[in-house]
Amino acid sequence: MSSSMNNISMQSTKSKRLIQGLKKNTIGWTFILLAILGISAFYLYPMIQAFLLSLQSGMGSNLDYVGLDNYVRLFNDPTFLKALSNTMLFLIIQVPVMIVLALVFSVMLNDPTLKLRGFFRTAIFLPAVTSLVAYAVIFKYLFAQDGFINDFLINMNILSDPINFLADPFWAKITIIIAITWRWTGYNMIFYLSALQNVDKSIYEAARIDGASSIQQFFYITIPVLKPIILFTSIVSTIGTLQLFDEVMNITSGGPGNETLTISMYIYNLSFEYTPDFGYAATVSYVILLLVVVFSFIQFKVAGDRS
Amino acid sequence: MNKIKRIFTYVFLSIATFVSIFPFLWMCISMTNKSVDVTRGRLIPGSHLFENITNLFQNYNIITSIVNSLIVAVITTVLTLLIGSLAGYGFEIFRSKGKDVVFNILILSMMIPFAAIMIPLYRLFGRISATAPLFGIDTLAAVILPTVITAFFVFFFRQNTKMFARDLVEAGRMDGLGEIGIFFRIFVPSMKTTYAAAAIIAFMNSWNNYLWPLIVLQSPENHTIPLLISTLGAGYSPDYGVIMTAIVIATLPTALVFFLMQKHFVAGMMGSVKG
Amino acid sequence: MLKNVFKRFSWLLGLALLITMLAACSEDDQTQGSANDSGDEGTSEFEGSLLAWAWDQNFNVAALEIAQNYFDEELKMEIVDSSSADIVQRLNAGLSSGTMKGMPNIVLIEDGRAQTFLRSYPNAFYPIGEYFNTDDFASYKIAPTSYDGKQYGLPFDTGVTGLFYRKDILEEAGYSEEDLQNITWGEYVDIAIEVKEKTGTAMISLDPNDLGIIRMMLQSAGSWYTTPDDEINIENNDALKLALENYKKLMDSEAVYMVSDWSNYIGSFNNGDAATVPTGNWMAPSIEQAESQAGLWRVAPIPRLDIDGAKNAANLGGSSWYVLNIDGKEKAAEFLGQTFGSNKDFYQDLVTEIGAIGTFKAASEGEAYQIEDDFFGGQKLIYKFSQWMEDIPQIDSGINTNGIEGILEAEMQNYLKGESLEDVLNNTQEQAENQFK
Repeated sequence: MSSSMNNISMQSTKSKRLIQGLKKNTIGWTFILLAILGISAFYLYPMIQAFLLSLQSGMGSNLDYVGLDNYVRLFNDPTFLKALSNTMLFLIIQVPVMIVLALVFSVMLNDPTLKLRGFFRTAIFLPAVTSLVAYAVIFKYLFAQDGFINDFLINMNILSDPINFLADPFWAKITIIIAITWRWTGYNMIFYLSALQNVDKSIYEAARIDGASSIQQFFYITIPVLKPIILFTSIVSTIGTLQLFDEVMNITSGGPGNETLTISMYIYNLSFEYTPDFGYAATVSYVILLLVVVFSFIQFKVAGDRS
Repeated sequence: MNKIKRIFTYVFLSIATFVSIFPFLWMCISMTNKSVDVTRGRLIPGSHLFENITNLFQNYNIITSIVNSLIVAVITTVLTLLIGSLAGYGFEIFRSKGKDVVFNILILSMMIPFAAIMIPLYRLFGRISATAPLFGIDTLAAVILPTVITAFFVFFFRQNTKMFARDLVEAGRMDGLGEIGIFFRIFVPSMKTTYAAAAIIAFMNSWNNYLWPLIVLQSPENHTIPLLISTLGAGYSPDYGVIMTAIVIATLPTALVFFLMQKHFVAGMMGSVKG
Repeated sequence: MLKNVFKRFSWLLGLALLITMLAACSEDDQTQGSANDSGDEGTSEFEGSLLAWAWDQNFNVAALEIAQNYFDEELKMEIVDSSSADIVQRLNAGLSSGTMKGMPNIVLIEDGRAQTFLRSYPNAFYPIGEYFNTDDFASYKIAPTSYDGKQYGLPFDTGVTGLFYRKDILEEAGYSEEDLQNITWGEYVDIAIEVKEKTGTAMISLDPNDLGIIRMMLQSAGSWYTTPDDEINIENNDALKLALENYKKLMDSEAVYMVSDWSNYIGSFNNGDAATVPTGNWMAPSIEQAESQAGLWRVAPIPRLDIDGAKNAANLGGSSWYVLNIDGKEKAAEFLGQTFGSNKDFYQDLVTEIGAIGTFKAASEGEAYQIEDDFFGGQKLIYKFSQWMEDIPQIDSGINTNGIEGILEAEMQNYLKGESLEDVLNNTQEQAENQFK
């Protein structure tokens, strides 16, 4: 608003600013130098190697350059297409549910008058730190044909016959979605909880005085303020779900049939379970990369981030 | 009305808590049972806890593994926080077109599955082994190096810097503080909760990291906790009581780190710094 | 806006190109050889310590430790205990990157995976045929452990299968011990339905993601998913047809107790929810851990497919020792040859101390194999297994078993839902040919 007044003095300070700007720019680069070096060496460089690998095919170390054959092969590979559609399904259903749940938890647990806050927070975070091996075993017990979930639903008269969750194509997917949500909601909650501390409390007080309900405060203050973090968590969760491996590997191993097979699990199978074809596995990995780029681009656009 | 809301909040949180900790409680009960009772799904505490613990500590190098995991996790967390926040801050405060491009390229690196870059990375460490064996294959340094500098934390700190009041930086410059001084004296103290969250995540990622340590650490004396747990389940007739015991022990450090760090998540703490 | 996007991408492209060039340049100085050829042949003057990778502290690792007592030289050996899946990943990473640092001298590999390694990494393994006599071992072990006319693996434990059953439950349904000797899988399914009807107990617990039962059926008839020259053998495979029909009949009956996991599987018979466990001999310790069921279990030969020439014998699991082509290979091969390769007394120790049944044929003449097992009503469990072992039909499981089974698992769901057997087999054949040709 004061830009018109500054116009006069701008001319004289322009050159000075330019030098300052350059200096600032150099300092800026030093801040990010270590990260650039490290990520280039340990991630970007191997990524390029992986890309070169994706142009090769063969058993183990007997690799030959095949050009784009691997990329063509993808479209005629029913297992890959199945893995792709499963993964997209997990993504579309699971990420929004988890983000909303995590937001609700963090707002509830940010209330300073809430008793046992630390306990509730730790409890809800606990699934994220629990060893996957153990929780997979327990999940399988819970969802077994004679497991707790079936017993409970039958006792409540919701079901008449037990559902075989892990052997049924539809219910196995639901079980995986429940498992990921269970494990990662508390994890996402941390990002919101920490970000909420950086919100000026006086904004809420002003809103309260203006008679805004807590629902209104949530939508008109909390969400806009948290936007950068919501963007961060949705991109990170998108990446996590597109690379989903652990839960599927340990709970259903991709079954029944290939009904819960994910792209990452397929990469694992191509590398270690079947006769290793690291070239084709790298090709499939680049599909994940491409998908994440597309989804992140959309999310950046939707969020209207300045970059 | 307010009271009803309160009651609803408690009921909702209690249900969520129960669902969240139920499997953990199950593990705690299982660690007191014999393997055969664990496989039977017994949910009553047994009297086998002492045997399970002795078996675990006598037959496996669990103490070595815990120490290794702690060394890796603590070093990783400290370095991650430092490098990640420096870069995240740098990208946002000294924003320029060139840096944005670099940022986008760095972000690409978190989008590819680790399995894809694992073998090239292993080959890279094979070459490092030849010149600097202290950082090569089968050293804890090889586990730490690729995990301390990740796009994830650069991105995380950058997004949080967006919520940081930029006028504080200007104020610092007015006061004649150098750019490094502004970062350490103004940014770091006012972003305590962000650092707390990052510490939790970095510690947890490191503590649970499996695939890369598995490949790069071969000698048992270098194994971390997840590798040990994987070994425990490897037998033809695995002892599930012992496995559960190891898992409960392995869960505690991260849970503790979380519990200590979450205390920093107190609404309005920022107020005092922002004035 | 579009221009903007283009601008950003051109930047990206430029940088990517630059890094690619850098990477391509540094590609040359890489050590691409997958094995370290020490060059000087025949030197067994290796002074260092041998490194071995194996899984199961109480079984394979223990076997290696005992073996050291039977080697005539003083030997330094470090044994790393990790899971079989972990070993597969480490070995693949090491061999495919050509970085042999930290790779073991001796490694245990499951028989089903061995061909994959031998063919994927030529020259990475050291042929050890000169260090023992292959005729001394059960013949079914030779195909998976050799490649291109060379013997690479030293056969170790057997995965010989048997039909573990609860005598009490089967008697309640009217079946005596004789009724279960040398039956076919078709008869097994009929008995299963009867047992469920009369006693209410399921005959078998099955994990729909584990097709081990199909493998056992196929092998009893000497058939497999592939032919010995690696052709996909699905659509015209009569043994597979019969196996799938048996499987479907079983799954459609009430006689199956569904499990979803290994611990769940073990729990099912520990809990008395399944009357029989047709599987490898290595399951015995898990069955025995249910102490309250002592004396109730027996073991009979595994059923066979109702096909001419089928045997009541099959294999499930089992693994063998391999030597990597790195420094110390001669010493490692000598060690294996002298112990696992030829020492009958050593095998007696293996049986008594860890219950491991080897595939060294002469071993079964020893006294330790005659032990009567009280848990199984005084049956000579180990002797029985070692006898059945010699009948196991030899098959070459090739390199695509796991891949084909992945496809078959998916198609199996369609079959169980009612699709015709012919369609299911044709689809499987077609997909497998696309993927593995």
